[in-house]
Amino acid sequence: MEIKQTAMAGTLESSDLQIVLSQGTKGIEFDLTSDVAKQFGNDIKATIKSVLDAYDIENASVKVVDKGALTPVIKARAITAAQRALDLKDQPNWEVL
Amino acid sequence: MADQIKDLYLFNPNVKKQWENFLMEKGISVFSDQEVQAIDQTIGLFDDQGQLVGTGSIAGKTIKYIAVSDDGSGASGARFNQVVSALEMDLAEAGHFQIFVFTKPQYQASFEHVGFHTLAKTDYGLILEKGTPNIETYRASLEKKPADAKTVAAIVMNANPFTKGHRYLVEQAAKENDWVYVFVVNQDVSLFTTAERTMLVREGTKDLKNVAVENGGDYMVSYLSFPAYFIKNQDTAIKYQTALDATLFKEQLAKPLGIQKRYLGTEPKSHTTALYNETLKTILPPEVQVVEIPRLTQGSGQDVVSATEVRADIKADQIDQLTNLVPETTFAFIKDKKTELQDRISKGQKINGN
Repeated sequence: MEIKQTAMAGTLESSDLQIVLSQGTKGIEFDLTSDVAKQFGNDIKATIKSVLDAYDIENASVKVVDKGALTPVIKARAITAAQRALDLKDQPNWEVL
Repeated sequence: MADQIKDLYLFNPNVKKQWENFLMEKGISVFSDQEVQAIDQTIGLFDDQGQLVGTGSIAGKTIKYIAVSDDGSGASGARFNQVVSALEMDLAEAGHFQIFVFTKPQYQASFEHVGFHTLAKTDYGLILEKGTPNIETYRASLEKKPADAKTVAAIVMNANPFTKGHRYLVEQAAKENDWVYVFVVNQDVSLFTTAERTMLVREGTKDLKNVAVENGGDYMVSYLSFPAYFIKNQDTAIKYQTALDATLFKEQLAKPLGIQKRYLGTEPKSHTTALYNETLKTILPPEVQVVEIPRLTQGSGQDVVSATEVRADIKADQIDQLTNLVPETTFAFIKDKKTELQDRISKGQKINGN
């Protein structure tokens, strides 16, 4: 699916993660800021990628600022951002959840 | 510890006093009306005793007047993140995903920590940016120079409106270089709107094949939006702003785009522009050469061709005199829109600035 509008979810507080999804052209492009990027950068990207895959989002620019979020938090923030970006806020995709 | 974010309404004098006192404690002491009135929204962070422990404001898409108190518990970092986060959320709601911050060098790390990228840094301060569109998407949107272009030059102009003087400057640059970028200042505060100014520059340089006219976006001489609030002295403020602007141009545009020269007109009249030109000459070389072209003079006289004069003539309804000052394309436009332009002037649009 195509991203309709830039969308943001999450905060910059400790144990959270902020994700901004906007239109892209060259697949999924990540821009990750995290203190633990070295240790968990790939895991964070993989978690977000799996959510985007579930929504059939093929092209997107993904800006992530991680403050030590756990996987379920990352997933929840990614789902919210995807729903907002696709303008599906009021139609939760139960299969992804 | 549960700090709470609340809106601060600065039109309430008590709230404003409290806010000013808090910022003054944190070392921000300039509250000129111009700066404060530009604020769209202010938030405060309160601790569980109801004490103000942090604040931040939004003006357009710029974050300003941000400060948090450090009580020694190590919570100031968390508070800072909470304030920035809340401001970003509000900006996102307003549809702004591109955010700018102007701050002092010591806060660079704090902002980079929450995803901001530094655009330019000087001894006085720095500009950071976060979100999309950003400088990369801006650069990608510019017309590509031909592969065989060896010498590339740039001119930044407000062109309010495009005169024979501007045309002369562009012609010189086009003659001496393979490719010329003309950036038109984006800030929409002039008599002629940004769309009109850009259109007139395009029309007026149409015959020059190696000239690309581009909108300067948020990255060129939008120094009206730069805050002067932590510097009191007017000249220092200008110096600070122009140094940032020049550094941004050098680092983010000249380097990636391969621009080797920047053309300027000499500036006998405007103090601000003269200071700006001085700063460019200090900061840009050696990587970018500054070429100063003497201003075009009218016919036989000693008067330089200036857009200020064009605007004065429009006000005085002396349209016929303009043929000496502006190219035909601009003249046709002014003649066509004369009433509308005079209307704008009588409604209070200033015409004697830049």
